[in-house]
Amino acid sequence: MKKSIVAAGVATLMATSAIGQELGASIARFDDNFLTVMRNGMVDHAGSLDGVNLQVEDATDDIGKQIDQVKNFVASGVDAIIVNIVDTSAGAAVSAAAGDVPLVYVNREPDNVNDLPSTQAFVASNEIESGTLEAFQICRNLRAAGKAGGAMGYLMNGQLSNQAAVQRSKDVHDVIGMDMCNFMTLIDEQTANWSRDEAQSLMTNWLSAGEDFDFVIANNDEMAIGAIQAMKAAGIDMADVEVGGVDATQDALVAMQAGELDVTVFQDAFGQGAGSVDTAIALVNGEDVDQKVYIPFKLVTPDNIGDFLDKN
Amino acid sequence: MADTSHGTGGLAFDKSKRAWPNEVNIFIALVLIVLIFEALGQLLPYMKGQSMLFDFNSGRDGTILNMARIKIIILQVSIIGIIALGVTQVIITGGIDLSSGSIVGATAMISMSFAQTELVNGNPNPKAIFGPWAMDLPILVPIAVGLGCGLIAGSINGLLIAYTRIPPFIATLGMMVSARGVAKWWSRGNPISFPTDEYAAISNGNLVDGLTFGVFSESWIVTQVFDGQNPAIYFLLLAVLFHFIMKYTVYGKHTYAIGSNEDAARMSGINVAWQKVMVYAVAGMLAGFAAILLTSRNVTAQAGMGFVYELDAIAMAVIGGVSLAGGRGSIIGTVLGAMIFGVIISGFTYLKLDAFYQEMVKGGIIVAAVVLDQWRQRRAALKS
Repeated sequence: MKKSIVAAGVATLMATSAIGQELGASIARFDDNFLTVMRNGMVDHAGSLDGVNLQVEDATDDIGKQIDQVKNFVASGVDAIIVNIVDTSAGAAVSAAAGDVPLVYVNREPDNVNDLPSTQAFVASNEIESGTLEAFQICRNLRAAGKAGGAMGYLMNGQLSNQAAVQRSKDVHDVIGMDMCNFMTLIDEQTANWSRDEAQSLMTNWLSAGEDFDFVIANNDEMAIGAIQAMKAAGIDMADVEVGGVDATQDALVAMQAGELDVTVFQDAFGQGAGSVDTAIALVNGEDVDQKVYIPFKLVTPDNIGDFLDKN
Repeated sequence: MADTSHGTGGLAFDKSKRAWPNEVNIFIALVLIVLIFEALGQLLPYMKGQSMLFDFNSGRDGTILNMARIKIIILQVSIIGIIALGVTQVIITGGIDLSSGSIVGATAMISMSFAQTELVNGNPNPKAIFGPWAMDLPILVPIAVGLGCGLIAGSINGLLIAYTRIPPFIATLGMMVSARGVAKWWSRGNPISFPTDEYAAISNGNLVDGLTFGVFSESWIVTQVFDGQNPAIYFLLLAVLFHFIMKYTVYGKHTYAIGSNEDAARMSGINVAWQKVMVYAVAGMLAGFAAILLTSRNVTAQAGMGFVYELDAIAMAVIGGVSLAGGRGSIIGTVLGAMIFGVIISGFTYLKLDAFYQEMVKGGIIVAAVVLDQWRQRRAALKS
């Protein structure tokens, strides 16, 4: 009897106090531009909270390693775990590895997102918005430029194993399928693996085919910038080509200010990182948490670029 | 070169048993691969008879060739090709260098942080790594830093291999992991962007205007192929330089000697240890230079840069006939190997085929190159 009272007391103490909370986070990659902004959001936000201690690990794009990191966190007794999953189809394994320890998925949607136990949650933006906002704005710009009679272009895919890349490309195809935008035709689509360097080579290869085109849609900003560099090197006037990306990184915003990038979509990386920390703490404290926390995407064009300059 | 006289023994580098230099075979393979792509382009119905290398209708650049294609074939392998020049020398000593890709990553981050510009579109540089003292430095600073980083990393490789006698595979594997760690640690994974215009011009400017090519100035190759193709110019100039070094200098002869028979080399008075340190240092420095070109071309540095470049560089050398057993191979072969890579990458995009197939075929060609080489060696051995 006495024992259980003590246990209950300890449990209440743990549940009500935010003092001395240990969080562990496993990030898919440390060297990814966008994920780094997100990671900074987590670290900065955790640092601003009293008594919250966040330890961040790099899964180096290896799902096996990530699961081991989660198990290590469990073994070292952290209060909650944040996972930016390497492979979105491995949700069940990661969820199982966390056991009863509260777990928050951030940014990348695991395949078991609809069957998460009550101790687990998901914080991200919905990728259906990103590709659609991007492609639809390109479509509107092309119409405004008087190209509604027919416009040709290219699509650059991110890493093909990545859910965001697949979804964003599908969004683009869906937009092109709409009556309003079906004047747009894709000449070709290829992967440039999210990378500026590969995008530059790919675009140069496309340019060497010598076909006329009006737009380039990329799954992220880095690839859009690579494409822009290749087009500039080939002496193409960037006013004649509509170029779109996703992420609204600093580099992309500078390219937009220079009149080279026409459309990007702001994904609140910092907000996702901070949101994942808040959600993890709420789970530890046993508060009522939405299991899917969506942070909205926002369209960025030269008209509203000022609102985003100091964001990502 | 039809020297068929019988050889003086079974040494791998004994060229006297060859009907013609191996480079000729590789060149034939290159031509064959080009022809396969040309033929597919003509045969596949959706290509509408488009040609990969020729431009029959328009003659856009005043030639019958599709110059844009030829340029990208060289350009897209130039940066890894420069790494492959160093890796070739390492492999000729009988070693291997797994660290070049990571050295590119670390060097990219470090040299780029000394190349930043203070103001971007009138605003302070949002990616600034150091304070104002490191902004808008003379271009020689980031170049020296980049070459220095590569040199240091390569020297560590060489010293470990030469003096602790650990296998090159292990020493450079360690460097591969550690240097990638340095790349990520340097700015905590944050990309470093917005260099000075001068730094961006290293890869993106027009070197042709700045250099004098003498009687070649007005030649087709200078005005058409190399115009605005700085990385390709550096690659081919370095290839020519190292071709002569490997063929006609003591450094080159000692490198081959070590790879052919290390004990014999030692007994004939070659300072084997020091020679190895030099070879790995040169390879590291070339990786450092590749990092400078890569960051300049992309006007950004990211910690993931150069990922698995070492494997592409090794593959270029192997396809170019450089023997992993050491002692055999040449810079010309590696350049041809790089061209085969370039043709494959560009050819698959030209055929509008996905990257998966490109990787599958690339792997097949690497294995086929080694199989063919083994077969040639056995046949040569039987003949003698």
